[in-house]
Amino acid sequence: MNSIQRRLTVALAGLCCILWFGGSVTAYLAMRSGLVREFDRARVTDMDSLVNMTEQNEAGLKFDSTGEYMPAFRREERPDYFQLWESDGSVLYRSPALEGDLPKDAGTLTSPKFWNVILPDGLKGRAVGVRFIPKDDEDMPRRPGTPLAAQEVVLVACFHRDELDQRLRYLGMVLLLVGAGIAVAAVVAVGLIVRRGLRPLSALAARTAAIDASSLQLRLPTKELSAELLPIANRLNDLLARLEGSFTRERRFSADVAHELRTPIAELRALAEIGLKWPEDRQSTHSALQDALAIALQMESISTGLMALARCEGNLLVVSRERVAVHALIRDVLRSLRIKAHEKQLEVAVDLPEPACWFTDRTALRSIISNLVTNAIDYSPPQSLIRVRLGKNGDVQELAISNPNLHVTSEDVPFLFDRFWRKDPARSSQLHSGLGLAVAKAYAQSLGMKLRAELNHTEIIFTLSNASLCNGNGS
Amino acid sequence: MHLLLIEDSPRLQASLGRGLRKAGYVVDVTGDGNDGLWLAQSNQYDVIILDLMLPGLDGLSLLRRLRAEQNGTHVLILTAKDTVENRVAGLQTGADDYLIKPFAFEELLARVQALCRRSYQRKNPKINIGDMEIDTVARVVRRKGKPIQLTAREFMLLEYLAFRRGHVVSRTEIETHIYSDSAEVMSNVIDSAVCILRKKITPPGAKPLIHTRRGMGYIFDSARQ
Repeated sequence: MNSIQRRLTVALAGLCCILWFGGSVTAYLAMRSGLVREFDRARVTDMDSLVNMTEQNEAGLKFDSTGEYMPAFRREERPDYFQLWESDGSVLYRSPALEGDLPKDAGTLTSPKFWNVILPDGLKGRAVGVRFIPKDDEDMPRRPGTPLAAQEVVLVACFHRDELDQRLRYLGMVLLLVGAGIAVAAVVAVGLIVRRGLRPLSALAARTAAIDASSLQLRLPTKELSAELLPIANRLNDLLARLEGSFTRERRFSADVAHELRTPIAELRALAEIGLKWPEDRQSTHSALQDALAIALQMESISTGLMALARCEGNLLVVSRERVAVHALIRDVLRSLRIKAHEKQLEVAVDLPEPACWFTDRTALRSIISNLVTNAIDYSPPQSLIRVRLGKNGDVQELAISNPNLHVTSEDVPFLFDRFWRKDPARSSQLHSGLGLAVAKAYAQSLGMKLRAELNHTEIIFTLSNASLCNGNGS
Repeated sequence: MHLLLIEDSPRLQASLGRGLRKAGYVVDVTGDGNDGLWLAQSNQYDVIILDLMLPGLDGLSLLRRLRAEQNGTHVLILTAKDTVENRVAGLQTGADDYLIKPFAFEELLARVQALCRRSYQRKNPKINIGDMEIDTVARVVRRKGKPIQLTAREFMLLEYLAFRRGHVVSRTEIETHIYSDSAEVMSNVIDSAVCILRKKITPPGAKPLIHTRRGMGYIFDSARQ
């Protein structure tokens, strides 16, 4: 699994280990160099003693082997070795334990030569070689005027280095163990730190994963969220809000469709089955037939509305544009609906200041106006006022139809043009199916017009905007 | 059997009310949730047929209120809401059955009958008392194997007495469950109906099954005299 936490932990722990390894190697080398230098310095002191034991006089070279020179060369167990060569290459002296020759190489007294060797006893050792002119023999001072042979000799001494190697091994072991501990601690500490650091992200991921179609009302917490995650949470919350809205709309649409289509079918089926079961009741049969006719007309209205919507959405609506005298069309629609308005004792105030001509489809426009006026009549309280006003807004003409608003809230406005939407959740009225405004909106869009709804303090206003006028581009 | 139909569609109110009455049930009908709740609280119904989308008070809220008041009347939800979530919500709120519109009237009748039987702890649709067999599904009564012709109301009265066999059933209970839709129940209507039913189900030489308990009511039992 591609886990950020795991990748960060591995990368940071690996980096810690590499840094430790580099640091440890550097520290080891530095300490090793220091220890070897210290060892060599100590050997130089030993060499100085040997050099001081080498003298020359008129008789030649002499090594004072009888003196108390370092016991390290005389001991029986693990003795150190040295060898002294004269300038002609002949061996002047060998340490007691040395049987063969030591490797011959040398530096100066001020800068001796050091190198690693395998000692005659087979152990690892450290060799020091110097080239020097022995001092005068103090016991046999040179006679004045006698020139000194000034013979240069080579002294090579080899020392056991087990203690040095042991200290170096100990140092390496310490560094290795400390490093291993640090590596383990680094992995654990980095894991904890990364986990702690990513905790808000993990919490956000868990919260997001818990959201499904049944819990779209949940929101991701943004309080105390880190700055890096805040934009993600905000965007996800926006997305959830939109998704919840869509789901709610979808669920309501499904429920509304079920009610609008299933209820009349249930009515029809119950009428038919009960009529067939008890056919002897003539009066009930007659009533049932009247109900069946009303149901058929209701379903016809629904299917007509759905077909109109399907045609508009499929761009199948045939639009025949012509010059339409809108004021005359409005008056014609109002005339056809005046009985319906009269039944509720509604007053219709018409404000058509001047004749207007729209270049559009007469039938579709009539359907839009008829739907809007019918909607206003149906949802106005009795003895109230409906306003129909035609006006101009720049190059656009607007037809506004308003009626007193009793129940619609600002939250309802976005749903007013949804198909099958009704304010009454019980959908009790059999006069409406909730398709009229949806059809009006679809027709308006097909005609290139805009239809919007808005609320003011007391009224709900539907405004149809049209830019395609007879003397405009459309004509 | 006394039913309450709470349905806001006037056409369904009319047709279902007519059908259920024809089937012998006493039916009260309302289209408003608040009225339905008041009726359910005020009367003792055998079954309530409840729509969910109702004006005033929606069906689920109504049902919730009833159950909160420990009202145990069997409720059959009759609705166009057909999703699994709707059905689960309805049954979990306390409904005993759930039927989706459109539906077959015969199925509604069968479900109502089943709920009525459950109201009286009867699972077998056939009731055998002595030599009488009452088939509550086929709505047929036989005594000694011979069918007895009864009207729907008479059958309902017999079925109600049979459901309560061994118990004294008062005139008030009979009036509530069988005759409450009558505009005015005359004082002797129930006595007359019981008398006619008794004659119809007691052929010559047969043992009477409906017995009068003076001042108390009637008892339906084959073992009593």
